Amino acid sequence: MKKTSARSPLLNIAWVHLISKKRQTIVAMLGVMFGVTVFIFQAGLLTGLQSYFVEKTVNTTAHVHIYNDVRVARPHVLDLESDTSSTWTVVRNQKPRDEERRLRNGYQILREIERDARVEGVAPYLGLQGILRYGMSQQAGTLAGIDVQREDQLFHVADNLIAGELQRMETLPNAVILGSGLAEKLGARLNDNITVISSRGVSLDMKVVGISKTGITLQDNTRAYISIRNAQRLLQQSAAYITDINVRLRDVDIAQSVATEFQNVFGYKAEDWKEANANVFGIFRIQNLTVSFVIISILVVSGFGIFNILMTIIYEKMPDIAILKAMGYRDRDIRRVFLIESIAIGTTGGLLGLLLGFIASKIVGMIPLNIQGFVSVQYLIINFNPMFYLAAFGFALVSTTVAGYFPARKAARFDPVEIIRSR
Amino acid sequence: MVSPIITATHVTKTFTEPLEFKVLNDISLTVDRGEFVVLVGPSGSGKTTLMYALSTLDTDYDGSITIDGIDIRSLDRDAIADFRNSMIGFVFQFHYLLPDFTVLQNVMLPAQRRGVLSADEMEDRAMKTLSMLGVADQATKKSSKLSGGQQQRVAIARALINSPKIIFGDEPTGNLDTKNTTLVLDILNELKSELNQTILMVTHDVQFARRADRIISIRDGRIVDNDEHYSPSSH
Repeated sequence: MKKTSARSPLLNIAWVHLISKKRQTIVAMLGVMFGVTVFIFQAGLLTGLQSYFVEKTVNTTAHVHIYNDVRVARPHVLDLESDTSSTWTVVRNQKPRDEERRLRNGYQILREIERDARVEGVAPYLGLQGILRYGMSQQAGTLAGIDVQREDQLFHVADNLIAGELQRMETLPNAVILGSGLAEKLGARLNDNITVISSRGVSLDMKVVGISKTGITLQDNTRAYISIRNAQRLLQQSAAYITDINVRLRDVDIAQSVATEFQNVFGYKAEDWKEANANVFGIFRIQNLTVSFVIISILVVSGFGIFNILMTIIYEKMPDIAILKAMGYRDRDIRRVFLIESIAIGTTGGLLGLLLGFIASKIVGMIPLNIQGFVSVQYLIINFNPMFYLAAFGFALVSTTVAGYFPARKAARFDPVEIIRSR
Repeated sequence: MVSPIITATHVTKTFTEPLEFKVLNDISLTVDRGEFVVLVGPSGSGKTTLMYALSTLDTDYDGSITIDGIDIRSLDRDAIADFRNSMIGFVFQFHYLLPDFTVLQNVMLPAQRRGVLSADEMEDRAMKTLSMLGVADQATKKSSKLSGGQQQRVAIARALINSPKIIFGDEPTGNLDTKNTTLVLDILNELKSELNQTILMVTHDVQFARRADRIISIRDGRIVDNDEHYSPSSH
């Protein structure tokens, strides 16, 4: 004879209820499963791309960026002199003041920052817009005037080279490293000679000594590295002329406070990497919010599924509840039966969802996509952070328990006399 | 003389919906140990309501009901459930077996709730009770596969499994044919005579009433007759 008494009667009752409503149980379970799958997949995909971007950003941009924040727009002269609320003034063609973008004592600031213990490296920068010409093809680009050694220490320029060598930037007087997209658009290859023209009308013939690919599309499509000396020549400026200082910190998380400090000490705008990429982080926030809404709504829907099946079971099993109460089962025993049912649905659905989410992430991570967007990647980068799995499972359990609690409480409160007398 | 097992004093229960009326009106009675008592009365007389109050299922009344020396209303809901589990067995008009459970599982449910016996002892006792009622051969079948008479016998076995002090019944033969009615009545009589089981039943059935030690007639929420023995004039 089968030993039935070994199992607790409550578990037994819950089990029998679920089995007797097989189809609805499975549907409710699938609801939870899909909720968890979407959670895992979406969160992994989104944060995978985001952390890839952050990692790239941390590696390729300055943690703190110091520059002269030139305010070009200025109030009209007559507005300063007259009361604008009662007078109407018109000044046409007031030109922007010729303010220098340079950092005064730039190299002195640089050396001072270098002595700071929190700083891993610091590099001067002189950027300008220019035209790059190769034969008949012509492209506008950002000419990044860099101190090669310092820049490499900060941003690992050499690691991003897909052709050429960084050393030649120092051995050749007129060397340029092109972004991969820019080189492609120009049609220039390694060791080709191109012409660089600045807005001042200065032109320099330069040799392509390297092609760089960072994975950040915008940079690869527009940036060309030249030596800071050549940048100064293109702008017809002296050797002390720099416009930016890039700082790399040992601890990237303190960037914000360090930036504020530098801004106060040196009197120039100092911006941390998060502020510099504020627009991107804003997009991340919106993405995360959207995905959270999707996940929450799926879990809510699956919660309703559980609510629904439990209500059906409860109304169908009212006589069972009545007799259990008559034979001395307590309210909490009855409540437990239905909580067990919803937790069982939540747990199995949740575990299946974890598995499916993991498999879906693995499969999608293997499909070559070659996305050229915000960042260029060959495969979707998926974050397999176990926290997501824990959180997804936790959410599934919480939502199913909450969804199960109300029907369970209702069942526990049934009056057996009323049920028995109504037969 | 031993103290009565059930004592009801001035029990009054008032319904306010749809109109205010006293479904139980100042009822006092006692039931002795080992007594077989039936409650009779026309429908709406309050006999079923009285049975639910006496059996602790309904505690919403004025007055007091004492079972085995314990004032039921001094207990909280959980304590009443525990009390019912160990002291009271029910047999209703419908069997109320859990349809997807086997006969044996159904009979063991109250014992599992009580949790005093080991699993083997529980099963042993359940089988003994089932064989006493002549349905041991059905033990492994699902309860929904049994005939009406068999189901009611299983329900009686379930009521007996915890050796309760009182068995309450609400028209336990109301849904059975003559043959099964006789069978169930024989079983109840046997319980009374052999185990000295206290039994309190609500019934319409004259045949049933004839077997009882005492018939209490209820009309309009009052006891109109509290006879020691059946007589045709008592209802």
